[in-house]
Amino acid sequence: MTGVGTRTGDTFSPHDPLDDEPGSGEAGTAPSAPGRRSITLSPEQRRQRRRLEVVGVVIVVAIGFLVFKGLTSAIVFFKTANEAVAQRATLGNSTFQLEGMVMPGTVRTIRDSAGTTVAFVVESSGVKVAVTNTGSAPQLFQPGIPVIVVGHFVGTTDRFASDQILVKHSNSYIAAHPNRVRAQNGTTR
Amino acid sequence: MSTPARVLPQDRPAALRVLGATALVGVVATVWLGLFVTPPDQFMGNLVRLLYIHPPMAWVAFLAYGVATLASLLYLWPRTRAEHFDRLAGASAEVGVVFTGLTLVSGSIWGRPTWGAWWVWDPLLTTTALLFVLYLGYLALRRVPGEFHVRARRSAMAALIAFVDVPIVYFSVEWWRSLHQAPTVLNPTTHKTYVHGSMFWTLLLGFVSFTLVYIWLMAHRYRLARLQDLEDVEGLEVALEERRAEGDAG
Repeated sequence: MTGVGTRTGDTFSPHDPLDDEPGSGEAGTAPSAPGRRSITLSPEQRRQRRRLEVVGVVIVVAIGFLVFKGLTSAIVFFKTANEAVAQRATLGNSTFQLEGMVMPGTVRTIRDSAGTTVAFVVESSGVKVAVTNTGSAPQLFQPGIPVIVVGHFVGTTDRFASDQILVKHSNSYIAAHPNRVRAQNGTTR
Repeated sequence: MSTPARVLPQDRPAALRVLGATALVGVVATVWLGLFVTPPDQFMGNLVRLLYIHPPMAWVAFLAYGVATLASLLYLWPRTRAEHFDRLAGASAEVGVVFTGLTLVSGSIWGRPTWGAWWVWDPLLTTTALLFVLYLGYLALRRVPGEFHVRARRSAMAALIAFVDVPIVYFSVEWWRSLHQAPTVLNPTTHKTYVHGSMFWTLLLGFVSFTLVYIWLMAHRYRLARLQDLEDVEGLEVALEERRAEGDAG
């Protein structure tokens, strides 16, 4: 896109001001006055230009990184439990995100010297996967909701070891106590 | 060419002041309703209160980029090369970047207690981060020095390219699997809302108020850009005067 010089209504030099090669253009019309119309950049403009180049490089790198992330992580953000079990052989012990509904009555929290472990079963299209999560669950975690767990299959089993639970929530918002003026905890209405 | 008339845009147009005051009242009312009047959500509890500002911020970012794109098209299309369309695009995109940043930050703060993570590389979040960087790049490109119309044309084309990501962000929750839920308002599939009574009205007020904030910020940014351009022209005139004076003296 460089070198787009003469457009309508140019009041300034028709050259691309980015083109500051010494000796290019500006052939001897006013040798005595380098003045403001000269294409030579002042130190201030040079600094500004260098800064813009750095900004440009940073932005291009960031765009590249995000497109890479988009193509690798975001396109298939998770596999459902039934897909994961079907692809068990190819998945091996690689790390991925597994999605499923937390089955009621399966959640057990174990606290010992090694820390907190949460064990539960997730289900998707009838296929169940037992999950053991190292670390405590997020505050909204509860049976009957969809979650995404980040981890891998253990050994050659269909058991899943995770180190992060992500709680999915819907786009519905329903008042907790629609018929009451004050919530039970008394903090807000 | 005579000295350009020194007609500066009125410093603080009354309409803008009224708009600013209305926007402020709206935002304060949204925060008050959101924090004290609306009930907690049955699933999220009090964490639902971020609902009243996070989607409106995202909406303003979309709106701002839409306006910037339209202005860029209008600058390019009829070949009028009207300077005000270029300024409008720049002002709108700048407000859009601010609101994209606010959307990312408020969403991150919301995600930590609800999902259990500050950030995940899910399609919606990833494409929104990309949107932020694309328009930062656009703003940087606008600052690359050059003759007004060369710069404006280059920027307008960049704005059209950056906008490609906006529909991708919007439909990402439908095209790909996402942790982020589908939009509650303006849902691409159902066009239904699932928000209870006063929560819905507060959310709606949030949308209106943040839209007013956008118009107010954008109008001021536009004014500033116009003043800057006037100052540049003025500066050139002064420089030419000096040169002429030098020439006369010499």
